[in-house]
Amino acid sequence: MTDMRSEYSKTLIQLGHDNSDIVVLGADTTDSLKTAAFGKEFPDRFFNVGIAEANLVTISAGLAASGKISFASTYAIFLPGRAVDQIRNNVAYPSPPGKKGLDVKLVTSHGGLSVGPDGGSHQQLEDIAIMRVIPNFRVFIPADTVSVSKLTQLMAREYGPFYMRMARSKTTLVHSDSQEFQTGRGITLRDGSDCTIAACGITVRMALDAAESLQQAGVSCRVLDMFSIKPIDDQILAKAAKETGCIVTAEEHNVMGGMGSAVTESVSESCPVPVRRVGVHDMFGESARDDEIHLLLEKHGITSFNIANQVRDVRSKL
Amino acid sequence: MGLDYYQIKKNIRRARKLVIWGTNAAGSGHPGGSFSMAEILGCLFGRHLKFNPKDPQWEKRDRLVLSKGHAAPGLFSNMAVAGYFPESQIQTLRKFGSKLQGHPDLKCPGVEFCGGSLGTGLSYSVGIALGAKINSEDHHVYTIIGDGESNEGQVWEAAMTASKYRVDNLTAFLDRNFIQQDSYTEKVMPLDEILDGDDLSEMWKDASRWKTGDKWRSFGWNVIEIDGHRVEQIDDAITRANATKGVPTIIISRTIKGKSIEHMEDNPQWHGKAPDSDIVPIINLELDSQFMIAPSIIAGDMTNLENEVKRCVSGRADYVHLDVMDGMFVSTKTFDHTKIKQLRTLCILPFDTHLMINEPVKHVRDYVDAGSDIITVHAEVTDESSFGEIHDLLRQNQVSVGLAINPDTELPDWSWQFLPSLDQLIVMSVVPGKSGQRYLEETHAKMARLNQVLCENNFSGYIEADGGINLENIESVFADGARVFVGGGAIVGQDDIRSAIRDFRTVALKSRRQALLDRAHQLGGTDLINKWINLHIIGKKQEQLKQIAQEAGYL
Repeated sequence: MTDMRSEYSKTLIQLGHDNSDIVVLGADTTDSLKTAAFGKEFPDRFFNVGIAEANLVTISAGLAASGKISFASTYAIFLPGRAVDQIRNNVAYPSPPGKKGLDVKLVTSHGGLSVGPDGGSHQQLEDIAIMRVIPNFRVFIPADTVSVSKLTQLMAREYGPFYMRMARSKTTLVHSDSQEFQTGRGITLRDGSDCTIAACGITVRMALDAAESLQQAGVSCRVLDMFSIKPIDDQILAKAAKETGCIVTAEEHNVMGGMGSAVTESVSESCPVPVRRVGVHDMFGESARDDEIHLLLEKHGITSFNIANQVRDVRSKL
Repeated sequence: MGLDYYQIKKNIRRARKLVIWGTNAAGSGHPGGSFSMAEILGCLFGRHLKFNPKDPQWEKRDRLVLSKGHAAPGLFSNMAVAGYFPESQIQTLRKFGSKLQGHPDLKCPGVEFCGGSLGTGLSYSVGIALGAKINSEDHHVYTIIGDGESNEGQVWEAAMTASKYRVDNLTAFLDRNFIQQDSYTEKVMPLDEILDGDDLSEMWKDASRWKTGDKWRSFGWNVIEIDGHRVEQIDDAITRANATKGVPTIIISRTIKGKSIEHMEDNPQWHGKAPDSDIVPIINLELDSQFMIAPSIIAGDMTNLENEVKRCVSGRADYVHLDVMDGMFVSTKTFDHTKIKQLRTLCILPFDTHLMINEPVKHVRDYVDAGSDIITVHAEVTDESSFGEIHDLLRQNQVSVGLAINPDTELPDWSWQFLPSLDQLIVMSVVPGKSGQRYLEETHAKMARLNQVLCENNFSGYIEADGGINLENIESVFADGARVFVGGGAIVGQDDIRSAIRDFRTVALKSRRQALLDRAHQLGGTDLINKWINLHIIGKKQEQLKQIAQEAGYL
């Protein structure tokens, strides 16, 4: 089990050594997000603006306007929802000649239900929907620490606005160190012919487990890590729809406007097949102690067991 | 170096006209807030901003962030005057396909910030300024925020951050015009002391209520409070702000929404509304008819000119008029540049130096170095060559260029070529040499002749009336085209200089109103007169205008 925030921090410091234009900003959560370590290494390129998320986003935009690459981080619940105007009007909208948006990366932690004890007020289940509709933004949800490291490097390399949401809890590795990540390209983790499970974040592990259990029952599932929710990989989805005939999506997000919606929108235009969306069905979360988070996820059907059930169900109606 | 006073004034006037042109063509837009910050932008573009309109992305440029983005017409107009794009492009404002969007946008090269969503520009500026510090770049960030948008909490988040990180390469202006979209700021969300009751009209004249500066000081900012329509105060404040290290500076500029156009001034309706086409020519004439009062200190106590300068300041004069006489060009002797240099330390009011001396070309540099902002020399003692030399020297030193003629002198033919770039023309209405003479009535006929020459030769400067000007004759002198009024005995000679200047302004204002009513009548008869008068809904302007119109037989 490895920790996404530590990986993010480690990668930022490496990038900071390679590229003096990288600046990191936080909003009184720099200890938790572990970005404070960047500040120790590069005090002149680190800004803690206090509990002021709107200010966090707009100052990041101003730094980008000065030629910097801004990484701004805090908890997922406080960024896309609270500062959506600044994200839209100060980061995404201003487009210097020949460019789209400003060079700002919004990287959050504590996404989804798995935040646990802090409760419904802190469980961000709408960020994909919010960020997906803002032009010029690209939206990532990494499944493990390898993804975090590779995607952080990718964001530093590619110009423009990105949103990346990490999970609070430790995760097991699903990718090898040699895995390549490209914006807008999903990753096939397991091939299969009877159904496709498209997942992102912590549900990728669940999807792999579900596929494994279904394999034993003779159902061959393809598993896709759709870490790049925007742009979404239309090709990999069209191919999957065509070759497996149905799709189950799984995410720690409201099924409205999330990754499942993005997948549905894509295949409905390329190769319409039944899609079943696992996720939170238009509700808020609630508190659960760390050792109870599995119960909270279970309540919303975000488990490998339910994913497997949905695969069986969607196939039975074909 | 001078203040470049008239050049800045002319640019501001030009920019205001473009705001009217653009918003009228668009049928919408925000003239009120564009006009309240007109002098601030004019002074920034004219004196302080480092920029290159041919290379808008020039790395060493200063950054201007218009946080109160709805005042975009004001920004675009100044950019047009500064040469970023042809002035005629202002017609495309807010139209499909135009780079002049409804709010400032990077689509227009030279714009630094996409404004519109209020309260964010200061944070953005802090980001730019921090970036410049990391890069050890020495460009400066200027930000204009509105008082309405100061309702936004993010303004204060940014204020704290700028203070924490000692962002001293940032200077903010607060355009304190006391009006936001719904109503007066103190009604919607008070920035100053809470006002009980409805008597809003006078409240911003009561300085004891102003608490906004205290707010900013408590956030750790260096606070400078000025009259935001006085070019010399803005200029001085920017200079002081830029010299302040270790803390950010805010220049709280008390302004008037819709400034310069009476029916727009202090009128919340003009926050976001475009002028009608039939009113536009009257507005343009009103912009051409702004006037200044210049007390002549030699009419006071010659043994204590220091005190006379101080009286000009407390009387709220626009300039100090300095009559330099050498005892040769005129028989009297007053003072020379050494005295002006001493007086210069007493105030920042523009010094309007009138050289009644022989061979001014030999001495003019001394008067530049002494701190004059406007220098006027006499045609009787200059010729094409020497005036050309004087003209160039003054321009190089950002001193406005004036030419004067005596009552018995006609404007010499050689001077016509200078008229397009001449800033000030004095047609003496007394024989120069001493204070206290009566206005020569034949000046009116001379002005009528001259106005034709000035018009034919594209004179765009200001006519200064000098000699025997008093409350009785301002009206006729205004009608002759004078827009600067030198007051000797009638101002400096009075015990209460402030009240004397106020009286001068009242009569000049009445003259202007008369001229505007004449124009309205000429363009659209009684209907247009009524329409225009009815726009004046604030204070007693409407009744006063009706009275003038009735006296003139228009109603």
